[in-house]
Amino acid sequence: MKPALADRLSRAVVGCYPRRWKQRYAAELLDVLDQHRAGPRTVLSLAGGALSTHLDPDYRMQIRLKPHLSRDAKLYIAIFAAIIVGVPALVILPMIPRAIRESRWEPSSSDSVGAIAFSRDQRIMVSATGGPPWEATSTLWDLTGQARPRRLSVFEGGSPATISPDGATVAANAGGGRAQAALWNVTRPQHPARLAVLSAGLSGALWGEAFSPDGRILAVASTSGLVLWDVADPARPRLLRSLAADPLVSDNPGPVPFGVGQGDLVFSPDGRMLASVSGSGQVTLWDVARPARATRIATLAGPRDYLAALAFSPRGNLLAGVTYHGSVLVFRVAGPGRPARVTTRPGILASARFPGGGSTQAGPCGGDCDDPAAYAAGFTPDGRALTVVVDRPEAWPSTAARDTVFTWQVTGSGALSDLTTIFRDVSDAQPVLAPGGRIVADGSLTGGEVHLWTLP
Amino acid sequence: MHGKFDGLGRFADPSLLILTSLSDGPKHGYAIMTDIAAFSGVGMEPGTLYGALSRLERRGWIRPLAVGERRRPYEITAAGQEVLAEQLRSMQQVVRVARQRTATA
Repeated sequence: MKPALADRLSRAVVGCYPRRWKQRYAAELLDVLDQHRAGPRTVLSLAGGALSTHLDPDYRMQIRLKPHLSRDAKLYIAIFAAIIVGVPALVILPMIPRAIRESRWEPSSSDSVGAIAFSRDQRIMVSATGGPPWEATSTLWDLTGQARPRRLSVFEGGSPATISPDGATVAANAGGGRAQAALWNVTRPQHPARLAVLSAGLSGALWGEAFSPDGRILAVASTSGLVLWDVADPARPRLLRSLAADPLVSDNPGPVPFGVGQGDLVFSPDGRMLASVSGSGQVTLWDVARPARATRIATLAGPRDYLAALAFSPRGNLLAGVTYHGSVLVFRVAGPGRPARVTTRPGILASARFPGGGSTQAGPCGGDCDDPAAYAAGFTPDGRALTVVVDRPEAWPSTAARDTVFTWQVTGSGALSDLTTIFRDVSDAQPVLAPGGRIVADGSLTGGEVHLWTLP
Repeated sequence: MHGKFDGLGRFADPSLLILTSLSDGPKHGYAIMTDIAAFSGVGMEPGTLYGALSRLERRGWIRPLAVGERRRPYEITAAGQEVLAEQLRSMQQVVRVARQRTATA
């Protein structure tokens, strides 16, 4: 048996333990598997363990033996049952890893979707749940038939998560309170296989991952720093550079990481620059043309507010950002002179209408609460328009929310004009704009679902 | 290695190896596995390890320490130390008798 197959089977078998046992031990056991070279014996020992735990009355008494049987008789019946169930299971298991994964690594119904990302052709989407490490899952979706997305597979690994532009590799949070990402080969999307764990270089909590446009570099950001990995061969990733020693977003007022971290860390379209959210109201621009010798170009400041979403224009000369409390900023990042802020458009939150109230309602807590809205930003492919999606939740305990989509015309110098807005009622969600800027994906914060809709 | 485990019989049962491993201080799952492999040559698989860990924990012979979510260390309890000491006494007795008998044979 190949080690990769044994490893996948071992993980699938961990999914077969009783739920209550998994809640207590699965995270640790997966951690041991991360470090252990799995073989056929590993799979066997886990299958035996799963079976005996299922038979353990403390966890889940699945088989009730008649009380008048003697102790020995019960033992023999249990052994017999174990052989009857276990031997065929071991034969069938290798054939149905997908079935097991689908049935066992289910996103729980209360999980929030913490990350959504698309392949460049928008045919494959990955969503990842928050949730505790032993329950965090990533789900791959086939969007070829846009009206009817199809779930391809569910595998272990949580938010933040992203997918390479060619749709071949997923980077997901390997979890466990350690800042490390795992790379998954999804070229056979119904049978994702874990390739590597990127364990070096970071501490703190992961909040962002981004592939370069050519898919050769993966940037991974935690609250302690930012690292660049060479993932040209995703089975043998190489640490290229650790970029920031100072904390990046540890002092932000929202959850760390910010909901979906996808907009917070973006490569320019030519892959020569990387923009990352860093500290209060700041974006750091990095020169990553030579990633092993990447350097800081500039730290751009906005108002005293944290940036929640970033987007480069297609030509790479402008960088747009949306702040936590609803200011849209445009920075000029290429061309003559130092990078600088060219446009500030405050107050979009006030005009993001509210499902239950009028447009004048400032927000669930007077416009000054810590969780006013979730944002996505993106330019249209021709670079002439900037789209910002605001998901504005109704006051707790309602889960209703409204997406407001603002679209501005953008001049070459970064000035915004001709605002149009459209609304759509959704559930409380984290929006993401697909490449191309036409599809909005709303990751539910309460239901483990993703809702897709297309802009007119 | 499988054969070696079988050959040691009940004296090499996972619980004894784990209690022995934890006697010099708390360890997490993988550290227990590597420690056991180092001192006994027994390559214990993760399924076996965690089956035994959950049983030992339920009997109150070891307890988990609340450090980190995923890599959780375990420590031996006073009850666990007593059980281990008792087991070692019985093994010493067996060893003593076995030595005498093989020497005189």
